[in-house]
Amino acid sequence: MVNAYKGNDMVVTANVDKIYPNNCHALKKVTTNIKRGEVVVIIGPSGSGKSTFLRTLNQLETITDGDIIVDGVNMYDERTNINKLRENVGMVFQSFNLFPHLTVKENVMLAPLKVSKLPKSEVDAEAQTLLKRVGLAEKMDVYPAQLSGGQQQRVAIARALAMKPDMMLFDEPTSALDPEMVGEVLDVMKSLAAEGMTMIVVTHEMGFANEVADRVLFMEDGVLLVDDIPENIFGTVANHPRLQKFLSNIL
Amino acid sequence: MKEQPHRLKWHILFAITILGIAAGIYSASQTINYNWQWHRVLPYIVDTSPVDIIAQGDGSASINNNSLTITYDNGAPDRIINNADTILVSDGDIIFEGDLLARQENVRMGVLIEGLLTTLEISVISLFFSLFIGLVAALMRISNNPFSKNLSLLYVEVIRGTPLLVQIFIVYFFLGTVFDLERFTAGIVALSVFTGAYVAEILRSGIQSISPGQMEAARSLGMTYPKAMMYVILPQAFKRTLPPMASQLINLIKDSSLVSVISITDLTKAGREVVSGSFATFEVWFTVAALYLLLTSTLSWAIQRIEKRLANNG
Repeated sequence: MVNAYKGNDMVVTANVDKIYPNNCHALKKVTTNIKRGEVVVIIGPSGSGKSTFLRTLNQLETITDGDIIVDGVNMYDERTNINKLRENVGMVFQSFNLFPHLTVKENVMLAPLKVSKLPKSEVDAEAQTLLKRVGLAEKMDVYPAQLSGGQQQRVAIARALAMKPDMMLFDEPTSALDPEMVGEVLDVMKSLAAEGMTMIVVTHEMGFANEVADRVLFMEDGVLLVDDIPENIFGTVANHPRLQKFLSNIL
Repeated sequence: MKEQPHRLKWHILFAITILGIAAGIYSASQTINYNWQWHRVLPYIVDTSPVDIIAQGDGSASINNNSLTITYDNGAPDRIINNADTILVSDGDIIFEGDLLARQENVRMGVLIEGLLTTLEISVISLFFSLFIGLVAALMRISNNPFSKNLSLLYVEVIRGTPLLVQIFIVYFFLGTVFDLERFTAGIVALSVFTGAYVAEILRSGIQSISPGQMEAARSLGMTYPKAMMYVILPQAFKRTLPPMASQLINLIKDSSLVSVISITDLTKAGREVVSGSFATFEVWFTVAALYLLLTSTLSWAIQRIEKRLANNG
């Protein structure tokens, strides 16, 4: 592990550029920093690069240029073990991506068993605690296909939490859900935020952003245009014409 | 239950059709005056012919309480035969080398069953090797490394593009000579390498049919690529590829009949030998076909059971 700088910052990105092989310029000099315990919501129109940016933070996407430092570790240092880094960064996907061949509890237990190699009894107890916490204690032994979307997403959150990460990334966690199930997932996320988890959330749920976020980032065309507290973002004052247009379109 | 009478009608039609085909085969054989002799096949399935016990040197016989003792002239230790069913010499007879001394009743596997077991052995060993080769080739094919990708591509194209019979000859006459392979080993190598190419393509398509999100989710939990493959991708891919895999492995059993060309006495070669010995051509080949069907339907049944067991999840 390369401890370049381990301080109050959970994530530091500097001039992050991402150009896809088809010459699509997805991220343009994105520079920001996220503190420990901070809840940051990224908003923006589709194709603005917000999901791409989120995915660069655990290297599901590599970057073309720039620097990313997560928990004091420079991600692109050749001595960095990316798997070790990912253990510390949980991720929740828009399409849940639960493992369909495993039961709910096995989904939660897989990584602690196979990656951390913890004893099974300990992992089992921890999985039960986590599933209780997301309100799915009675669904432990069913397969993901038998769950509703909202339930699946809560299992996915429990699965990510099982590795005891210091930071959670949420990639449009409620976009694939029926409207009546959005609330149950957001409630779990709110309780996580209240416990002090560092969270970066890409979402279209402006209510959640307004209520829970410490900061809101607005991206468009791969550029980080606005970085402000939610009061200023959602306030009545027109602080940025592009942001104003985006918000008036979706609200 | 409203549909019942309607369905019954079709079941009856099915039974009539099968009976009709059987009757057709029978009457076709009548027109060429073929004399069906099914009993001739039986000795090649269960061999009940007695075993001859032959003298191995000159000497003399003595019989005591149904126990035949041969004392050899050259001082070799006496031979005592207790378990003979028919003794064909008398007490005090002089014995010469090669004399028939006694017969022993014996029930053993016929030539066809021995051939069946050889076919089973070749198929099972080749099955495991072809699954292993296929898995390695499939993983190489989907890797980003151009070396392993191209190597796997070349392997699949060359093997799929040439006939199995030719491959068996090449393995037996070329590789077999260079590496001093036994014919049995050569047969297994040819079959495994041939089937491995098809298994590789089946597994590759299975792996690629799994949503990329599964790999991303596994990697985001800190799993390495091999661990994600082993615990997340492959179990799902195996399940999806079971139906085409069943066809391919059934093909393997059937393709194993081709190794008879390098003089391995498998079921097919045994069948050819029995035909030349019994002249019951039709009966023998129908029996051989039924024995192959026994192997393939057992495998098919086993894979269907696995499929059913896996069906309840995902």
